[in-house]
Amino acid sequence: MADDNIFKVLEFDATTILDSIIVLILAYILVRVLSFILVKVSERVNRYRFSVKMMLPVLKFSIYGIALYHISGNILNLSPNQLLAISGLIGAGIGFGLKDLFADVIGGIVITLEKPYQVGDKIKIGEYYGEVSDIGIRATKLVTPEDNLVFAPNFMVFTQPVSNANAGGHELLAVIDLYIDSDSDAASAMKILKEAMITSKYVYVSKKRPYTVLLKDYPFYRRLRGKAYVNDLRYEFEFQSDVTRRAWDEFSRKGISAPKVNIMEAGTSGSGEIQ
Amino acid sequence: MGDEKTELIGFREEIANVQAAIADFESGKKLNIAIIAEPFAGRTAIANEIEKINAQKVTRLNLLCPVKNREEIALQGQSKRIVIIDNCHFLYMRKVGGFEIIEELLKLIENPDTMFITTWNLYSWKYLDEVIKIGKFFPVQINLPKLTADQIKESILSGYDKNEIKFLQDVGFENEKIIDFAKYQVMIKPLNKTINIPYLKISYDRLKVRLSRKKKVVAIEDLIFEKIKHISNGNPGVAGVIWQKSLEYPVIKPGNVKELSFNIDLDYDESFILGIILSMDSIGKRELAEIEGFEYQIDEIIFRLLKQGLIVMEDNNCRINPEALGSIVEFLKRSRLVW
Repeated sequence: MADDNIFKVLEFDATTILDSIIVLILAYILVRVLSFILVKVSERVNRYRFSVKMMLPVLKFSIYGIALYHISGNILNLSPNQLLAISGLIGAGIGFGLKDLFADVIGGIVITLEKPYQVGDKIKIGEYYGEVSDIGIRATKLVTPEDNLVFAPNFMVFTQPVSNANAGGHELLAVIDLYIDSDSDAASAMKILKEAMITSKYVYVSKKRPYTVLLKDYPFYRRLRGKAYVNDLRYEFEFQSDVTRRAWDEFSRKGISAPKVNIMEAGTSGSGEIQ
Repeated sequence: MGDEKTELIGFREEIANVQAAIADFESGKKLNIAIIAEPFAGRTAIANEIEKINAQKVTRLNLLCPVKNREEIALQGQSKRIVIIDNCHFLYMRKVGGFEIIEELLKLIENPDTMFITTWNLYSWKYLDEVIKIGKFFPVQINLPKLTADQIKESILSGYDKNEIKFLQDVGFENEKIIDFAKYQVMIKPLNKTINIPYLKISYDRLKVRLSRKKKVVAIEDLIFEKIKHISNGNPGVAGVIWQKSLEYPVIKPGNVKELSFNIDLDYDESFILGIILSMDSIGKRELAEIEGFEYQIDEIIFRLLKQGLIVMEDNNCRINPEALGSIVEFLKRSRLVW
């Protein structure tokens, strides 16, 4: 008798299959529509952008989960034995080649629950760096600084370290390195870099988001390192460019110069090799 | 008539605090004072009042535009021990090298023999407090409060004779429903179409009258000033502008007091420049170009701000449109361009 029930799994009629497909299509449409609305709403309420976008992956997994539950329980009317049989089939599928897909889905669930990153964060995962634009069932979409769309498989969260630059916050710490000649006035250069940072249209300064300017001496040049938070992480590179441009404009006016090419001269003297 | 009285309304406690600090200074304890408020909120009125009360003791410096020369704030030759500097936000510019004058002021105020009473735009103050910790130099910080409806009424009506203004009810007010359907127009840009979304509109005037009938009759003038207070958010300057726009001399009706809605649509550069104008009260095109860094963009940005009714031009300087102040502050805070 039990065996009969198991084999009934294969006895789906066309209506059952059609109903299941319709439910999946409806779930897909619902996910797309709600994602679209949430993204639009999040852009309108800029301050709470991340809070709204955080709901996206939870929403997706919930809708697809409910759709699958509805298909198995109400459309297919699967008994426990039938579920067991299907589980066996899925297990075999995973064994034969769906292993990665399964790992991606589990990775997606872990990302949703544990939140190592959220939609809108700037992350580095494996060799990829960019802004998380979507967390899907199978992959996380990243937009790189070159505006390329990268699909990073969700299972990477198990195998690769994840570096999150803002962890759900709006701001992101940007680092700007400028190199000046050893003979230039370092104090004046540090003041200029500080002012270029704190007057930038992209900066955000508060007690929790302070800025710093550091100086390091190298044999043939000095490195100025400015650290400040960008108001919105989407403007990370605009901020760096804005500060660099305005700092160098002022350096030129104040006679602060870039390192000379004496590295090459020193390196090539005598042996002709760079030391 | 009531100019002197008008300036005091709503700020008596703040003036008393300043007078207490002056008394402490005279007994040997120096405390510099910062009076902080948003545009149109009455900073200069307070400075005038303090100067008037302490006419024999103070000298005053009025800053009307961004200061570029440190000689403009030099105090050589002045013998009075209390210095009032109005509009101190003109002592800095948000650009590289734009803090030299304010650093000069901070050196000046270290002088133990002179007390400084300064006024600041709220948004400049918040910015400067984060980036150069200006608050440390001013132990007494006075934030001007928002006025109540009664204070706004007292302030505005002090400029008129008794019974000069007639407060009348709108025609058809009695027939107006407390809750009614209205249509909100939304523009769908990709389709270039406008759709009407029905929503429930609540008539707060009718609601207030209905609720208050059980207790006491609300005078029409109180209703009007409550509305003005709500729209101006207690800002006396904005309230004055709304009053002038609503008044059909000598008559004013509740229906004439209208809340303007500004649908602000700006890109990041335009929002930043709007934030600068808000923080500076009044600033010229050349200074804005120096701050923005790209002179060719400024005309276009100012055109966009003017077109949306967010700023006005006065003597070649850009100023915030008082009626748009609330919408602008909300928009810029949402964009995190003012703190």
